[in-house]
Amino acid sequence: MYKNFKLSDEMFDNYNNRFVPIILPIILIFFWYLITNGLGLFSSYILPGPIDVINSAWVVIQNGKLLTNTIDTLFKVFAGLILASLVAIPLGILLGWYKTLEDLCTFVISVLRPIPPVAWIPFSILWFGIGTVPAVFIIFMGCVFPILVYTTDGVKRTDKVLVESAQTLGATDWNVLRRVVLPSAVPYVVSGLKVGIGIALMCTISAEMIGSSSGLGYMILTATNLFDTGTTVVGMLVIGLIGLIFDFIFTRIQNRIFW
Amino acid sequence: MSIDVKNINKSFEGKKSDKLSVLEDINLTIDDGELICLLGPSGCGKTTLLRLIAGLDQPTSGEIVANGEVVKKPSGDRAVIFQQYSLFPWLTVLQNVTFGLEMTKKGSKEENIAAAERYLTSVGLIDFKDSYPHELSGGMKQRVAIIRSLLNHSPILLMDEPFSALDMQNRHKLQEQLIGVWKRFENTIVFVTHDVDEAVYLADKIVIMDKNPGKIANIIDVDIERPRKRESKEFIALQESIVENLDMGD
Repeated sequence: MYKNFKLSDEMFDNYNNRFVPIILPIILIFFWYLITNGLGLFSSYILPGPIDVINSAWVVIQNGKLLTNTIDTLFKVFAGLILASLVAIPLGILLGWYKTLEDLCTFVISVLRPIPPVAWIPFSILWFGIGTVPAVFIIFMGCVFPILVYTTDGVKRTDKVLVESAQTLGATDWNVLRRVVLPSAVPYVVSGLKVGIGIALMCTISAEMIGSSSGLGYMILTATNLFDTGTTVVGMLVIGLIGLIFDFIFTRIQNRIFW
Repeated sequence: MSIDVKNINKSFEGKKSDKLSVLEDINLTIDDGELICLLGPSGCGKTTLLRLIAGLDQPTSGEIVANGEVVKKPSGDRAVIFQQYSLFPWLTVLQNVTFGLEMTKKGSKEENIAAAERYLTSVGLIDFKDSYPHELSGGMKQRVAIIRSLLNHSPILLMDEPFSALDMQNRHKLQEQLIGVWKRFENTIVFVTHDVDEAVYLADKIVIMDKNPGKIANIIDVDIERPRKRESKEFIALQESIVENLDMGD
């Protein structure tokens, strides 16, 4: 909103923002090149160098494997996240709004929530076999709790003064929920989704490595089994980039919501 | 709309189950169109009394009758203007101001917007109609909050130290505007304050409250003609006599 800093600080910040973040990547890549392709301290199977990774990347880009597997992974991430949101957001609103319902559910949620999503892999395979559905199930289990908890929290944290103002302006309970509580919970829901999408990405890769035949996790695992560790690194870097893009998008959304 | 406060007691459950009595035997009649100030030290229960009149809290015993009906829950008839800023941050000034009209389904959308713009013009805020609350100063926010209640035609305005966070200049300006509004709309106003000057400037009647437990110590009719001048002899005399008799100590 309001930026209050001295001109010199602003110049310094801009200088910082532009140059400082890229110093470390350059050093790391150079060091990485030096110990692998440069000095040949490691075999390219144990630690592929930047040149090997670029070669592998070129191969998987050309044969389309990178694109299809990335799309496959993103599809699972979004499917799991959307399903989790469809359950967690309405449920979170109910739990935040009705204290008794929250008291009823809180123990069950507290026990289920700390279970790592990958612990559901055995059952996901037993119930859904191999493929997209078990992966989506794992992602669902990973995302549903953070979104639920953030939404419930957002509803409960609605400023009491805003609720009471609406009431004394003639709002019914339904209007208080719809026009005051829900908008004021939006930033919390967005935070929940941001946490959820990070977890979804992690779950997807783990699920693909165990119970799947497509996606970036599957690509990483099969490449490693074929001694093609360059492709393994390509897969890892793409996952990192996807996470970075999601984070960027959600941070932009959060900054647009200012209340 | 008149308000009758009858034998009100209010206590809160304290620790170890001993009750903390906040209000004891409050009896008060507020006539239609009257502007009364509840004046007293912090902890005298003046805000609690206001919340009871609003229907935001329930008394332990006794009842409050507003316009012939016992107050059981909040209603659009009794608007509250809080000390804290209470505009909806996700709505523009104009959307905030028409909120109550949408809730009570008074008038068409076009009529409401036209009325809101008229009101905003009258307090010099029309240029900010599309601004969001975080872009306004404290004084502007409170003016918008007052407009929001006025536009809703709430016959009773309950104001809980609405100007206490403002600097003196703004406070005096808003007090003057409030008197203007009150004369035009003839609302019944209950105004909570701990500022003697504010009470003397605004009130038809000052209800002085004591604490531990909160009760009415004295009711003073203020006969000074409006517009009141702070430097006039009668203003200063009344202010001094209240200060002398008021135990503001903590």
